[in-house]
Amino acid sequence: MFDQSKIGYSFAPFTIEVQRNKIHELTSAIGDSNPVYHSREEAQAAGLPDVPISPTTPTIFNFWSTRQRGNELASLGIKVTHILHGEEEFDYLAPIYPNDVLTGTSTVINGKVRRGSDGSTMDIITTETRYINQHNQAVLNTRSTIVIRE
Amino acid sequence: MTTQTKATVYYEDVNIGDALPALTKEPVTHLQLVKYAGASGDFNPLHTDPAVGEAIGTGGIIAHGMLIMGFVGQMLSDYVGPTALRKFGVRFKGMTHIGDVITCTGTITEKYEADGEPRIAGKLQAADQNGDVKVIGTFVAALPKRGA
Repeated sequence: MFDQSKIGYSFAPFTIEVQRNKIHELTSAIGDSNPVYHSREEAQAAGLPDVPISPTTPTIFNFWSTRQRGNELASLGIKVTHILHGEEEFDYLAPIYPNDVLTGTSTVINGKVRRGSDGSTMDIITTETRYINQHNQAVLNTRSTIVIRE
Repeated sequence: MTTQTKATVYYEDVNIGDALPALTKEPVTHLQLVKYAGASGDFNPLHTDPAVGEAIGTGGIIAHGMLIMGFVGQMLSDYVGPTALRKFGVRFKGMTHIGDVITCTGTITEKYEADGEPRIAGKLQAADQNGDVKVIGTFVAALPKRGA
């Protein structure tokens, strides 16, 4: 069961370099064939400096940067195998392009326990990750809400 | 080729209540979920291993919620261009299975200026071939003004 005292807990910051090929891979899996996501030349022909991030590219930063996150969640008393994704939200604050180096800091911003009429409980936990780039500019905030069935 | 980074719409041309051009995707495939796992880094086996899907009682493997958000993101990016989104959020409402055909739709709910730029806000949805809703959400995007 979620420990309310963990609201405000921040995980150790992590760093990730934005990679053109990961944007290509993700949009390929989605089936988004917009050429600007697949080729620097096409992106430049369209007036951009490089391949832009696609709307859900931040999920790559979250997952690939936090391979230890499962252990960290477990340390908060969370049953990792019982996690459902409840909500996801992105604030795009400034452009992000390949070779940018982002530093993300994740904080538990909300958590509650919901009790069902059958006595079962469900934890609902929201984590916010704030990303800055190599110029110390805030570029992205992500909020992810997970639901854990006990 | 057409210049896809330019928004296909101008601020003056959209009205509250307008529908976004809908996007209907190809049926979700197992291979697609394997690709999505590798691309995103979400290797939870309930998205890729049929035995796990059966064991946990979800009726086989289920798609990553973020894949469905990705479909909605494609619709948005097609409409406003790849660098215009300012906010994009969803709530996951239902599971998506192999073979489901997802259609993304949206409606403009607000027009306003903020941070020195004209913006639109709207609501979003993704539903399957039976009308079962998988995702609802909202977005904010910047649009160019004519002659600006």
